[in-house]
Amino acid sequence: MALVKYCGRGAAIFVFAASVASVDLAVAADQKFDTRLTAVAFDGAMRASVQGDGHAAAILSGKRLLVTGDFMELPSDATSAHIFVGLGIGIPGDRIFDLTVSGARGGTISGSFVLNSKQLTALRSGHFYVQISSQKAPDGNLWGWLMPEHPIAAPDEPLPGQGFLPQLDVPGNWTQK
Amino acid sequence: MPVVGKSFALSLGAAAAGLWALGAFAQKAPATGPFTEIQVAAGRVAYIANCAGCHEENLAGSGDQPPLAGPGFMIAWGKRSTKDLYEDIRASMPYGKAGSLDAATYQNIVAFILTANGAQAGAQEFGSDTNVSIGAIANGQVPAEIAHPVRRAVAAADDGAGPAMPRAMRLGLTLAGHIKNYVPVTNDMLVHPDPNDWLIYRGNYQAWSFSPLGQINDANVRQLQLKWSWAMNEGGENATGPTVHNGIMFLANTSNTVQALDAKTGSLLWENRLGPPAVRAYSALRSLAVFEDKVYINATDAQLYALDARTGKVLWKTHIADSAKGFNETGGVIVAHGKVIVGLTLCRGQEPHCFISAYDADTGKLDWKFTTIALKGTPGGDTWNDIPDDMRAGGETWIAGTYDPDLNTTYWGVAQAKPWMRASRRTGSAATLYANSTLALDADTGNLKWFYSHAPGESFDLDEVFERVLIDHGDQKTLMTVGKAGILWKLDRVTGRFLDARQTVFQNVFSGFDMKKGEPIYRPDIVAQKTDTWISACPSAAGGHDWPPTSYDQPNDLMIIPLGQSCNLMLGHDIAQHTGAVNAAGLERVFFMPGTDGNMGRLAAYRTATMQPVWSFQQRAPFLTGVLSTGGNLACVGDYDRVFRCVQATSGKTLWTTRLPTVVQGNPISFSVDGKQYIAITTGLGGGSPIGKPSSMLSDIHNPDHGQALYVFGLPDPD
Repeated sequence: MALVKYCGRGAAIFVFAASVASVDLAVAADQKFDTRLTAVAFDGAMRASVQGDGHAAAILSGKRLLVTGDFMELPSDATSAHIFVGLGIGIPGDRIFDLTVSGARGGTISGSFVLNSKQLTALRSGHFYVQISSQKAPDGNLWGWLMPEHPIAAPDEPLPGQGFLPQLDVPGNWTQK
Repeated sequence: MPVVGKSFALSLGAAAAGLWALGAFAQKAPATGPFTEIQVAAGRVAYIANCAGCHEENLAGSGDQPPLAGPGFMIAWGKRSTKDLYEDIRASMPYGKAGSLDAATYQNIVAFILTANGAQAGAQEFGSDTNVSIGAIANGQVPAEIAHPVRRAVAAADDGAGPAMPRAMRLGLTLAGHIKNYVPVTNDMLVHPDPNDWLIYRGNYQAWSFSPLGQINDANVRQLQLKWSWAMNEGGENATGPTVHNGIMFLANTSNTVQALDAKTGSLLWENRLGPPAVRAYSALRSLAVFEDKVYINATDAQLYALDARTGKVLWKTHIADSAKGFNETGGVIVAHGKVIVGLTLCRGQEPHCFISAYDADTGKLDWKFTTIALKGTPGGDTWNDIPDDMRAGGETWIAGTYDPDLNTTYWGVAQAKPWMRASRRTGSAATLYANSTLALDADTGNLKWFYSHAPGESFDLDEVFERVLIDHGDQKTLMTVGKAGILWKLDRVTGRFLDARQTVFQNVFSGFDMKKGEPIYRPDIVAQKTDTWISACPSAAGGHDWPPTSYDQPNDLMIIPLGQSCNLMLGHDIAQHTGAVNAAGLERVFFMPGTDGNMGRLAAYRTATMQPVWSFQQRAPFLTGVLSTGGNLACVGDYDRVFRCVQATSGKTLWTTRLPTVVQGNPISFSVDGKQYIAITTGLGGGSPIGKPSSMLSDIHNPDHGQALYVFGLPDPD
């Protein structure tokens, strides 16, 4: 179970509970992914229905993907959550897995899946995203693209170099001739 | 076919060649709408006060602001509901001041917009839950009295109805000056500015936004304190930066007000309210220029003024373009080799197309023009997929250019083509020159020396219009710029040859880059785009980089870049083939950028010789000022969350912050008077995507909708 804590409006620091690492899936070869869950793409008419915040984490162990997360402050009760895959990072796509949702305007999500080779490639390329729907936003309330774990460059802690740029730091998203 | 009003019949005839499917809406007789005449009347007043400044009094839209009546509106909204429209307006308008009106006012405005699209008032009041299909009650036929309103005097809005329109103000020279110690600015001073001055809008001709002054430095900046402040006009977009010469500060205030202030004390020396008062929340006056004994300003109504630097009196005035046709000036002005050079904005395909123009600094006489849209039969005219000239829109120059005196060349960025999406433009993969290009023009003649197309066939309002920074690397003279896509470009500024490129922010519009050609490679689904289909783009139209300029910290060879992190889905419309009425023709839905943890702001430093990143950090609020770097190893920048900060230039570590009354927006500068260094910055509201996107996305940040002002900081005085 991954717990999330957002500290202040700027830094958005996340903290994983030790239990994440203690499950039997956590072996040296495991790959970790995470994302903050934020409002889906919206215009003014949709804005009031897609508020809220959340976090999702995933551990890939072999071909098995374990997804956990939590959410809070939805404008209406959560109804479903899914894994989607798109053509690229930030590009909406197709629903591929259902997640279990518990709670209402706040709660948790979870799921465990075995990925095929195409899905493995898509996950490692950052093309998977988690989406939670709610009563007032049946086509999506929160979403977030699962990125490999990376450092957060906060105002008080500038990072050397360019920091995390997904198209460059996540393989499979950029070609340079 | 129903009988239509005369004015609509005219536009319908023009649209016949286009694709607007009138049949879907216009063939229906309008039904009675769920709103009353009283609401319509109140809504019209509220609309004029809060919306007309951007969307025009006849609701035709302007620039990036979409039409709210007629075919363009019905394409966007005909299939949606009145509740959606109400919620959309309430959540996002007035621009930059979302949600600042009461519910009844928003409801009245919706009632007026529905009436403007042919809906008929009835007995039922429009409420926040009223939810009917717009296509069922409106047909897009604009009543004649709305389509052709009697132009109202701006002063008529002085009813306190809303913040977007100005109150009536006395125009003219309200305080005549008698500055006896004014020293005329020579060409040599412009080429080699005194470090104590901030003589050109970006500090020098090269747009470094760098002050060599080091009295305030990374060791003592924590002692910085407010020395004086100056309230600025409310209304309009405030995104300015002062100019300082020999202890006198010249300030381009909103509503085309020019002021001279004692830079040490903040005392007003003269004031000329040129007008017109700011009627757009979306038209900044970003800079002015000083040369010899004159102050130059290109007012938002596309007039160029020369004022007496000692008194503030108008010495001459030149007409740049017809503001009645929507033309507008926002980018400021540069004086080079005795010529005053300006750009132009809000070009909708009509004659004249957008142009850069130069005027004699003494007389205001037009010297040359360069049209930034390549028309048929001219060089580059074959890069628009053969669409008619009057559908070739955009190509605006809304950031003043830079200048290399040795090469006598002025460098300008050109904004995107319109409509935004190439499927709407019907230009395919054509480059649409000179949109999204760098232009190198002879400063004396306006002749094109070379151009470089950064994003041929751009599709998402991702301008490459911003500052062209001129940096020498040994003998190599380079030009560096970064556009909304966030790619930092390095070109040879003598030849225009591509040298290097580096991504500074997440983007997914391009899937690769051909370093041999110096050309980005578009994502396949962008190439295959169709209208009426949502397509994802990161960054959003707010830009990975937008108008808040970069700084070149010369001692450390660092380019420090304020960056934005948001994405959008964009949908392009099929557009009516109106002559000279081309606008953005797109819808947006915004979202937070993947991999940013909900942080919209990013500040990053790059070594320009190697293009290697040195440091970066993120924060929740986007940066809405340019960056000022100084000889004290500082880089100062302000943000949407009212924070003005100075970081150590070499490390990015924050050393000093202060919180100002509202959004910190503008261009920080540094100067010295009587041996004492100061840093100045403005707070400001209004503007386009850079302030509009966070106002709708960051529901956890709340800013006052007023408080435009200038702040001047310095170190404590010795005991």
